[in-house]
Amino acid sequence: MAAPLPTFGFAGRRIAVDIPHLAFATGIVAWAVWFCRDAWRSARDVENLIMIVPASIAAVAFYIVVAAGCFHILDLAAPPVESPRRPLDRRLGLKIAGTMAMLAAFVVAGPLIGFDVASFAYVLAMLFFLGERRVLVLLLVPAVFCAVAIYSFDTILATPLPLLLVPGDSS
Amino acid sequence: VIDVHALAAAVQLLGASWQPWLVVVPGILIGLIVHAVPGLTTSMALAICLPIIPYMDFLQALIFMTAMYAGALFGVAIPAVLLNVPGSAAAVGTTFDGFPMAQAGKHNEALGLALAASCAGQAVAYLLLLCLAQPIAAFAIKLGPPEMLVVSIWGLTLIARLRGRHMARGLLAGAFGLLLGTVGLSARGAPRGTFGIDLLLDGIPTVPAIVGLFAAAELFNLVGREFIVDDLTRRRVDASRILAGMRETFHHPGTLLRGALLGAGIGILPGGHAIANLLSYSEARRAAKDPERFGTGDPRGIIAAESANASSEGGSMATLLALGIPTGGATAVMLVAFSMHNITGGPSFMRDHADLVYAVILSSLAQVGILAVVGFAFIFVAGFIVKVRLRALVPVVLAMAVIGSFALAQNMAGPVTLVVFAIIGWLMQRFDYPVAAVVVGLLLGRLTEGALLRTYQMSGGDIGFMFTRPIALVLLALLVGSIVLPYLRALRSGIAANGTEKIGGQGKIV
Repeated sequence: MAAPLPTFGFAGRRIAVDIPHLAFATGIVAWAVWFCRDAWRSARDVENLIMIVPASIAAVAFYIVVAAGCFHILDLAAPPVESPRRPLDRRLGLKIAGTMAMLAAFVVAGPLIGFDVASFAYVLAMLFFLGERRVLVLLLVPAVFCAVAIYSFDTILATPLPLLLVPGDSS
Repeated sequence: VIDVHALAAAVQLLGASWQPWLVVVPGILIGLIVHAVPGLTTSMALAICLPIIPYMDFLQALIFMTAMYAGALFGVAIPAVLLNVPGSAAAVGTTFDGFPMAQAGKHNEALGLALAASCAGQAVAYLLLLCLAQPIAAFAIKLGPPEMLVVSIWGLTLIARLRGRHMARGLLAGAFGLLLGTVGLSARGAPRGTFGIDLLLDGIPTVPAIVGLFAAAELFNLVGREFIVDDLTRRRVDASRILAGMRETFHHPGTLLRGALLGAGIGILPGGHAIANLLSYSEARRAAKDPERFGTGDPRGIIAAESANASSEGGSMATLLALGIPTGGATAVMLVAFSMHNITGGPSFMRDHADLVYAVILSSLAQVGILAVVGFAFIFVAGFIVKVRLRALVPVVLAMAVIGSFALAQNMAGPVTLVVFAIIGWLMQRFDYPVAAVVVGLLLGRLTEGALLRTYQMSGGDIGFMFTRPIALVLLALLVGSIVLPYLRALRSGIAANGTEKIGGQGKIV
């Protein structure tokens, strides 16, 4: 069941607004406008702006249409407008947020502490976070993953990876 | 058109010794395995193998590299179908219908379709190359920025077709992608949208961005589920169903042939490799009587994307062999291998070593058959992905993607891009924006900008310049036709439907 959109009174009417979607679209267009301004300030020549200015103008034009669709003007007696999205189940939302956060942490930690230790810790933590409780699986999957990944990249592919414990061939 | 003496010499070269053939299966396997890891590319695999190239004779080295290339062309489809993670830009189109099929428990058929379409696409391209190597070389030399611009714009029209349920959101996503594609240094060296970060001067790393956008949208949402395919009976890796998929490919000969020809034609162009699958998908959707089925797990989507992706190899090989010009990273590495044997690609190579050129083409045709067998066996290994619990698969795939992105970029730009685009991709999916439109924009942004700029410089801003480019005009006419014809068709059927309605029970159509 979708939640109703928040409504605001304006000039004797009610206006329902899809605030999360409006914020997301505004974020996209704000970046586009900033990017165009940054390019303009960097160099005002055709070589620099031939594509960016038309694409930015198009982005703003499409945004206006999208943003207009986020507002629903209602009569005072009209029933509330439902959100076009199904609300995220609280547990699933937490899992997704946690997955994103752990991925971000892994990206930062990998190059800093070494991909061997960071990969092991990340896979183990994610397995536990997503519901795995068997100790053997919790230890075996990260260990096998680390061994295969580090051997493949560092030894076979000779790609330098920051490593802490494993004496790498290429690092 | 075919130099019969050179062809006979090529057959003799290939038949004289079994040694050149020894490298085919290892080459195909390397290509397949490398692309099973999100973030790794064919050019990377080829570059890694460069040190062993001087130890092979030239023909064996060429066969090894084309085998690797052939394996990679199908390899990219595996994560695209099973995980919605395109191994490279060349497999983006495959995800559109491949993953919906996998989710519906039709991963066997989807991979069979991809394998057969890949083999058929490669076969068509190499047959074309065999018959038309010289004319293709003459044609390729006439292609320049104006032609590339028209092809790029053609690719961009795909954004409008990928709009999903909301036209404005799709177009906003496409414009966003185009702008993202132009981040980095301009042609004159002006930094744009880099936030002062030197790592972004070369632009946003495309592969990590694509992996992030696609992987996030699905993998983040999959964390609440047990398996990709919920139904236990549908998780089996089944040879008969893979074969059924392979057979079905040939039930759509029009889609297959159109994709293969489009791919071979576009593969000639620099960067064409990445566009071929998208353009072919777009054209297959346009030509279909029921385009609404595309994107929901339609086999024709996989056939169109994969046949074009595979045949683009033939096109890029034509440019490499005939002109000595690489059209992408993989062919650039091949050119390095040429120089290791003191051979320069180009017209003189075609003239002086026609037997070698034909030998490469013939061996590539033979490789298609070997790929069908090796690829079939590889599907059995790869197909086990659907049997792995998602709580183990999600972290392993994400971790592999992060390490692959780091290995590709050799700095933090890769993994950070992956995470940022992962979050953007998930939000886009949540708000019902077509993620694919951003990817198309991202892929074509810099390509279109470069072609537009060079065309502008060549023409001095005079639009009449395009009338001096017959090939560009033909391409332009095809582009306009591909946009206008569906509307005319819809208009005509609308008028016909109205006429039928007015006449009512009389059963006549006006």
